[in-house]
Amino acid sequence: MDAYQRILCKWCNGQNTNPTQCAFCGAPLDVQNMVSESGWREAPRLRDMTQIQFDRSTCQVEGEIVPVVEINLAPSEWVYFEHHCMLWKGDGVPLTVMNLQGPKRSFLRMPHIVTIASGPGRIAFSRDAAGEIVVLPLHPGMEVDVREHAFLLASGRVSYSYVRIKGLANVLHGGNGMWLDRFVTSQAPGLLVLHGYGNVFERTLAPGESIQVEPGSMLYKDASVTLQAETIKLSSGIFGGTSMYLARLTGPGRVGIQSMYHHHESGE
Amino acid sequence: MIPAAGGPGAYVCPYCRTSAVGVGRSCPGCGAPVDVAAKASVSGWLELPAARDMARIQCGRSSVQIEGTMVPVADFALAPGEGVYFPHHELLWKEPGVVVTQRGLKGAWKRMMAGLPVHMLDAVGPGRIAFSRDAAGETLAIPLHPGASVDVREHIFMVATHAVAYDWFETGVWFRTGTGDDAETHYPIGMFMDRFVAPSQPGLLLIHAHGNSFLRQLAPGERILVKPSALLYKDSSVSGHMHVERPRSSAQSLWTWGERYLWLALGGPGRVAVQSAYGHTHDPGGPITGGATEYRW
Repeated sequence: MDAYQRILCKWCNGQNTNPTQCAFCGAPLDVQNMVSESGWREAPRLRDMTQIQFDRSTCQVEGEIVPVVEINLAPSEWVYFEHHCMLWKGDGVPLTVMNLQGPKRSFLRMPHIVTIASGPGRIAFSRDAAGEIVVLPLHPGMEVDVREHAFLLASGRVSYSYVRIKGLANVLHGGNGMWLDRFVTSQAPGLLVLHGYGNVFERTLAPGESIQVEPGSMLYKDASVTLQAETIKLSSGIFGGTSMYLARLTGPGRVGIQSMYHHHESGE
Repeated sequence: MIPAAGGPGAYVCPYCRTSAVGVGRSCPGCGAPVDVAAKASVSGWLELPAARDMARIQCGRSSVQIEGTMVPVADFALAPGEGVYFPHHELLWKEPGVVVTQRGLKGAWKRMMAGLPVHMLDAVGPGRIAFSRDAAGETLAIPLHPGASVDVREHIFMVATHAVAYDWFETGVWFRTGTGDDAETHYPIGMFMDRFVAPSQPGLLLIHAHGNSFLRQLAPGERILVKPSALLYKDSSVSGHMHVERPRSSAQSLWTWGERYLWLALGGPGRVAVQSAYGHTHDPGGPITGGATEYRW
C-alpha cells in the first residue's frame, strides 16, 4: 500500500494500513471524530481488547469502565510506571526502581517511586477510578507534560523527569504545588499511556491562544504550552474576599483535560 | 423529523415535556435522544436517558453542548448579555474573556452552617464556559417553562441560566433521637433544599446525577419509599417525610432485633427523580423520639 492509500489517524497522526484501528494509539479509524462546538475533541474511546504494537512489545486495553492496560514485554524491552498502578504481573517479570534525580515527591504520603518492569513477560496496570485510557505515541523529538500521578506507564525509550508548578492546587488543598511529569523522546519513538478520570478531551491551542481550566482537570500538555497559576478574586459580603484558582494554558500546542478531577495532595 | 406526538408535526419530549417541531436527533429542551424508545420499568420508573454525546440544547440565544458519556461536560456558549450561575466547584474551564463574579445569596450564614455552597458564582457572555462534576453519572437538563418550578436536593445542582430564579427552603424532613439535653435532630436529605423557578421566561437547569437516573409520576395520594440520599429532584407538589421500618424478628433471627431502615417517604401528586448511586445514610442509633413515622413488620 503506498502512502496515498494509508489512513491518517486524526488522534496521533499515525499512518495506517488497517482501516479499523490505528496501529500506534488504538483509536478506531472507522468512527467519526467527536468535536464540540468549542473545539474540544473527545479522546477516542478505545475498543475493548484493542491491541497496540510498540517496538517488539504489545499493549492491550481491556475493559471499558475502569480499563486495564496489559503489556506483553519482549525480551530486553522495559516499561516504567508508578508503583500504585500495577494490577498484576507474571511471576518471572523482574522489577527494579528507577533512580530519580531532583526534589523528593510523595503520593498519598508515601514516597514517589517509579518502578521498572523488564521483559520477557506480562504485566498489567489500572487506576482505581472510572475513566479512559489515553495512548499517546511519542514521535522522536517530542516533549509532553502530564499531571502528577496520571501516567500509567511509558516505554523504556521515553526519558522521564518531573517539574513542580508552584501556586497550583496548593492553597485550597494543603499541598505544595502541582507536579508535572515530563516525558521526552530523542531519536527513537516511544509510547506513553495515561489514565484520565471520567472523559478526556483535547484541543490544540494556536500560538498565543489561552484557556483557563480548573487545575485538577489538566491532564497533559505539549511542553510548548505554558501553564500559569491565576487567582480570581471574589468578594462575598459578610465573609469578606475569597479567591478561586485556575490554570491558564497558553499555546501553541495540545492540551488534554479530564472531566472528573481529583486533587491529590502534593507533599515534599 | 419525529412523528407527531402532541399534534401534527409536533414532538413532545416524554422526559421534559418540551414540544418542538422539526427536532433533530436530540430533544432541543433537554438533549434526550428522540429516536430511541422510552425505557420504563415494570414498576413504573422511567429511565432518564443520558444526553447523547455532543447533544446541543438551546436556551435563549445561548446554547449548551453535553460532551462525554461517563462524566459529561456541559459546555455553554453564552450569548452577549446572557449568563449562568453555578456553585464554584463545578467550573471545569472557561475562556479568559468570560468574567466570573460572586452572586449574592440570602442567608449565607445559615447556608454555611447547613453545609450548602456559600460561593455561588455568576458568568455573563459573550464567551464559553464549561462545567462538570467529579463523579461518574449523567448530566440532566431540566428546561423550566414560565411558571414551572422544581425542588432539587442539596449538592445536586450544577448550573442554571439567569432566567431561572434560585431559592432554598427548609426540607421539613428530619427525625430526632434522644430526649432532653441529649436530643439530636438529623436531616438525611439535608436541612435545606434548592428550589428553581422560571418566573416569566423559560430557563434551563442542569443537574448531575451519580450513576443512572429514574423518574416516576406519583398520582395524588400515591406514596413511595426511597433512600434519602437517592433523591435527585421532585415537583414542589410532592410531600416528604422520614419513615422508619423495622423488620420482624423471630427466634431464628434474633440478630435482626433492633434493625431498622430509614426511608424518605414521598407522596404525590407530582414527579420524583432518583439516582442509582447514593451515599450511605447514617443511622445514629438509639430510639427515635420524633419527626418520623414508623412501621414494624
